[in-house]
Amino acid sequence: MNARDIWILYRMEIRSALRERSIVVNSILMPIFLYPVLLWVMFTAMTFIQGLNEQFTSRVALAGAPPPGHGSVLDSLEARDDVELVRGVGRDDAISLIRAGELDVLLSFLPPDTGGAALPGNFRVEALYDRSEARGRNAVARVREVVDDYRTRWIGQETEARGMTEQDRRLFWVADEDMATETELGNRVLGLLVPLFLTIMVALGCFFPAVDTTAGERERSTWETLMTTSASRHSLVTAKYLYVATMGVSAGILNVVAIVVSLGAVMAPLLGETEGISFRLPLMAIPVMLVGAMVLALLLSAGMVILASFARTFKDGQAMVQPVYFAAVVFPLLLGQQTDITLTPGIAAIPVANVAMMIRDAINGVFVWPYIALSLAVDLFLVLLCLRLARFILRFEDFLIGSYDGSFWRFAKERMHPRRSEKDLA
Amino acid sequence: MKTNERTVFVEDLRKTFYDESRGEVKAVDGVTFSCHPGEVFGLLGANGAGKTTTLRMLSTVLKPTGGTASVMGHDVVREPQAVRESLGFYSASTALFPRLTGQETLRFFARINHYPVERLQERVDALISRFGIQEYANARIEKLSTGMKQKVSIARTIAHDPPVLIFDEPTVGLDVLNALEMVKVIRELRAEGKTIIFSSHIMSEVEKLCDRIAIIHRGRLLALGTLASLREATEQHYLEDIFVHYVTRAEGLEAATIGVAGELEEAP
Amino acid sequence: MTNHRSPSVLGTLFRYEMRMLLRDTRTILIAIVAPLIMFPAYILVVNYVDSREQQALEEETYRYAVSGSRAGWAEGVVKAAIALDESDPDTSRAPVSFEFRNPPDPMGALEAGDIHVVVEGFSAPEWDSIRAEEREAEEEAREEEASGGEAAEADTAHAEEEPSLPAVRILYRGNSDFSEAARTRLRERILEVRATQRDSVLLSSGFPVAMSEVAPVEAESVASAAKASGLFLGLALTPFLVVLMLSGGSIVAVDAICGEKERGTLETLLTTAASRTDIVRAKLLAVIVVGLAVAVINVANLLVYIVLGVLDLPPDFVVEIDPLGLLLLLALLVPVAVLVAAALLLLSGASKSYREYQVFFFPVFVAFVVPSFAAGLPGIDLHSIIAVVPLAGVAVAVKEILVGEIDLPFQAFAFVSTAGLALWLTFKTHWTLSNEKLISGSDLDQADLTGGAALFPRHVLRWFLGLWVLFFLSSLWFGQDLGLRGQVVLNLLVIFFGGSLVMVRRYRLDPVEAYGLRKAHPAAWIAVLLGAPSALLVAFGITELVNTFVFPVPEQLLENFGQELLGPELPLWQLVLFLSVMPGIFEELFFRGILLHGLRRVIRRKWLLALTVGLIFGIFHVSLFRIVPTAWLGFILTWVVLFGGSIYPAMLWHALNNAIATVPATLGWLPEDFEPEAWWALPACLVLAFALWILWRTGPWNGTKGTGERSRGEAGTTRRR
Repeated sequence: MNARDIWILYRMEIRSALRERSIVVNSILMPIFLYPVLLWVMFTAMTFIQGLNEQFTSRVALAGAPPPGHGSVLDSLEARDDVELVRGVGRDDAISLIRAGELDVLLSFLPPDTGGAALPGNFRVEALYDRSEARGRNAVARVREVVDDYRTRWIGQETEARGMTEQDRRLFWVADEDMATETELGNRVLGLLVPLFLTIMVALGCFFPAVDTTAGERERSTWETLMTTSASRHSLVTAKYLYVATMGVSAGILNVVAIVVSLGAVMAPLLGETEGISFRLPLMAIPVMLVGAMVLALLLSAGMVILASFARTFKDGQAMVQPVYFAAVVFPLLLGQQTDITLTPGIAAIPVANVAMMIRDAINGVFVWPYIALSLAVDLFLVLLCLRLARFILRFEDFLIGSYDGSFWRFAKERMHPRRSEKDLA
Repeated sequence: MKTNERTVFVEDLRKTFYDESRGEVKAVDGVTFSCHPGEVFGLLGANGAGKTTTLRMLSTVLKPTGGTASVMGHDVVREPQAVRESLGFYSASTALFPRLTGQETLRFFARINHYPVERLQERVDALISRFGIQEYANARIEKLSTGMKQKVSIARTIAHDPPVLIFDEPTVGLDVLNALEMVKVIRELRAEGKTIIFSSHIMSEVEKLCDRIAIIHRGRLLALGTLASLREATEQHYLEDIFVHYVTRAEGLEAATIGVAGELEEAP
Repeated sequence: MTNHRSPSVLGTLFRYEMRMLLRDTRTILIAIVAPLIMFPAYILVVNYVDSREQQALEEETYRYAVSGSRAGWAEGVVKAAIALDESDPDTSRAPVSFEFRNPPDPMGALEAGDIHVVVEGFSAPEWDSIRAEEREAEEEAREEEASGGEAAEADTAHAEEEPSLPAVRILYRGNSDFSEAARTRLRERILEVRATQRDSVLLSSGFPVAMSEVAPVEAESVASAAKASGLFLGLALTPFLVVLMLSGGSIVAVDAICGEKERGTLETLLTTAASRTDIVRAKLLAVIVVGLAVAVINVANLLVYIVLGVLDLPPDFVVEIDPLGLLLLLALLVPVAVLVAAALLLLSGASKSYREYQVFFFPVFVAFVVPSFAAGLPGIDLHSIIAVVPLAGVAVAVKEILVGEIDLPFQAFAFVSTAGLALWLTFKTHWTLSNEKLISGSDLDQADLTGGAALFPRHVLRWFLGLWVLFFLSSLWFGQDLGLRGQVVLNLLVIFFGGSLVMVRRYRLDPVEAYGLRKAHPAAWIAVLLGAPSALLVAFGITELVNTFVFPVPEQLLENFGQELLGPELPLWQLVLFLSVMPGIFEELFFRGILLHGLRRVIRRKWLLALTVGLIFGIFHVSLFRIVPTAWLGFILTWVVLFGGSIYPAMLWHALNNAIATVPATLGWLPEDFEPEAWWALPACLVLAFALWILWRTGPWNGTKGTGERSRGEAGTTRRR
């Protein structure tokens, strides 16, 4: 293994890759643009639909009238400009209109039941609506608001007549306040999103290059060209491996930067102006994220390059690598949404999940250095294992020249088979 | 210029593959020959005869299961990198990198094969002008036509100025003009004193080009010598007939429909 | 040869496709079998993690502290709240256990996470002053944003109504799940305690009933469970199936033409006796069959998991559908399957390599998935134009069937439009098999070797895509900070103009040609003066049309979405400069200049060219719902340049258009919420047509009509008189 050779090969691989459209799109462009755009579209769509629902006026039909003296309930209802009262509709007609989506609520004023009968003039309000329609639910909420207001005023009048003040009646206020700072809230969101996106993007960034540099090389018949150069086999494989890892890291980092920068703007419509959210990463979080991304890339690319090198065509290579991709994404998902979990020795022992957790903690300002070191150690150990495996596989010539038929199982079976007439190669 | 020093030694080279259905396959079964500078050494054989396997062993892509081989004094098993440094390998299965430009390709191969860095650019320029590829030296390989690619391919094979060159069926898929161009280049390289091993199954090329010819069949050398000596030994004139002579003798078969100078002969 | 052989040729080809697929075990494993396991596995993982988290939330003992001047009273309230579980067990409440702590510094302990909530007790006067402070802060914040006169009034009015009472406040940390859970549960219980206390106060004062008995509102849903489930299914079904058919169909489609190109077997196939029609049909059939199979397998898989109890359905999930409905459903899904297959096959035919297919697959995927969600838009009704929109119409129709509404004519429209598009795509796929460049997959082109202006038409869309993304991201990231003028400068000067300069330089374009910097015919200016206002009126009419017949978007929402803040403090000259003159110049140079120049050679048919340029122009104005009027303007302006050969009239037209739209309202010449009547668009149409006719008639400025255009190699559409 010669560092200079590795460098020459590595540079050539990167230069070549940056000219390949699919690699540039998947490893560079998509990480920068895709997620912010997707997030924006999703949030905008959600707020738009929400807004649409709220903008529609509620069509409220009346069956019967409130008891005398309480007609002002209807007046308040009518006074709202987001409510439209429809009169003169029969009950059965109203129900079928509601089901057809032409009407939102049917209000009936009924006599009180036994519990409430003690209060003269009391009544019940029955609201029939379609639970599955957003407009129906909104209409009921609006009706409730009006009736609640009315109730409060009525009770107020009654109790005043009995000599009670509002203080006596209302007793006390109940409020709450969020003591978390804007930064903490923002970092919480980041801490949930970033590890997942980072893992996905590193995997995606590694995917195409891994397949391209092994199976793709075979397909283009340049594999043998490389093998007849003066560089050693190991330099060759190391250079390719480092190249794939580089693409993975850059994809991951580009994506994280893009998300951090756009998240504020993207989430603004969803949160409205009431909640403030801001992001500020703790300074130490940045090296932790960088190191985490690098380790992730090393790990994922090791797995992908090894698997892809069994394929003879690009398409086969893709098929072989996809399981790694899917498996990798599961691990951050395992961590779930709870923000109160932090890195523990148990989690530190699980590859990929440990990096995800480490990064989440770092964003929230929690650094447990021993566990971080443990995570890195576990992952790097796995990387070394993969490299050892790669060396082992490289010995076999049919693998090297790709002359075997492409079946992974047959390859493995042959390795186990005792009857071999090839000399063992150093 | 021929000298007596030998640059390539192959001694009882063997290669055995294990195939699930056929059992042990002896692809190369004891091949011995040697080459010296300024000669074109031809390996002639049918498909599957063992030409490519032999050459791959020489270029260290495959490891021999028996026997030895050395290039410029370096053993293929013990010093594979040094062997490759002294070797230029050209084959139908060694394509160019599609996304690099011609210029970049030449630079890469010169560098990776340890051509002295100070003279790198000079060498690349010399190659570009020798092969006349100035016009498209900066276009990507994937955009070039077959003829253009061929030129760049030959250029990259000799980019690091190796003393030994291996051409494995280099004219496969080329049209007449391009094939002639290839032959011309090989002649030039021979004149420069390179050791050239040339394999083919196209008789006319081997006839025109090779100083010595080895006929290989089922992993064994059936004959080795100059065209003249082979003619004498078999009493045939055309290389095709010489080839058939040796092969049928090895197979112990009588010839079926074999054309000699255009005539059909029926099996007696 | 003779027609009666065709069925067997088709059958042979189809069987061959299927055989090749079934022998590709690796692809089948990865693309079909693996997702069957992975997809439910993912759901299981997520469910498991979720339930574990829920459990953790429920089993946690929440720690609280009290503080404030009436801490003791607060503690009593909390204790009463906790005791609720014993005195009034209510299974609808999540069980919870709380533990009292007494740290020396409650706030610090909260921040450190040692306790989950701090409950503060305040006396009435204390609370009043706290509220007053809060209201002041809110007012200040609001004044900073806009004209705050009215808002402030409303608030002081409200303030007078609020009686002065003691208060309990729960402090929590929003960035901790446990703290949030503690807050929610505690609050819920405290409110209940308060309600109980209020009731007892009422009763003791002689009020005859509890508060909850006064005018209760009982809401009852009249929708059958089937309707709710039907709605859910209706919304989800079409996208779900579309996604499955896209991914399943791709397995075959990618190999069907594209893969064969790479392997060299396409040419072999094309030289057999099979007709191109049969070849396309056989491949289409294969794609459809596999796509449907994958969809069915996945649905069956889901059902199996549901039956096994591994996946849970929402409660009261009931599907009722009558036979006619089911039949209609199946009938509607057929054109969808064909459409998806045809699109995939066309993509395969148009791609030169497997990788190219993959790069373009993603936009195709998005283009299909988005309309399939059409049923989710509130207010959308099959009785509108949407029925004629392919795929979206079917999505809405499917929802309506599953909700129990059978409306044959409109469902038929949806069927026909989708099927029509599918057939058209299939026809185009034929074309890909006859197109040399696409068959051989070779890339070599003189243009590639020499580069420069010849290469530009091929690359122009790529550049515009990149610039659009840049434009979009910069609006997203810097939009707020830059303000109106900053944004205009960034977008128009840097991105549009700067981008065009980069392209001119890189491809060595001739600026006069590329930008259309020619002199215009004098009559063109008259056309502009007539056309600009009339086009604007027509635009308004079109928007109204879309609003009424496609789907209604309330006015206010339109305004909320992407209307630029017209800062009222901008002086008139700045308003005109930034909103009319600069866009007029730089947007025209960018769109009707460079873009048109590049696309001219790629899109031959003029109306398609104008439509494309118009659409791209519309997409660059990121406010989603102004795409229609903007695209319309772009469309018209393209014609202006195509007819007149010069960019200058278009610039003026554009500037006038923007000026008319903004200046009069700002100056007060027209009332602020002035809107033209929709029917004004009709006479405006005539004036517009007249203006365009003038341009067409006079042509470019070298005097002879049609010369300018013909010299660019267009098929001449002009007539000489």
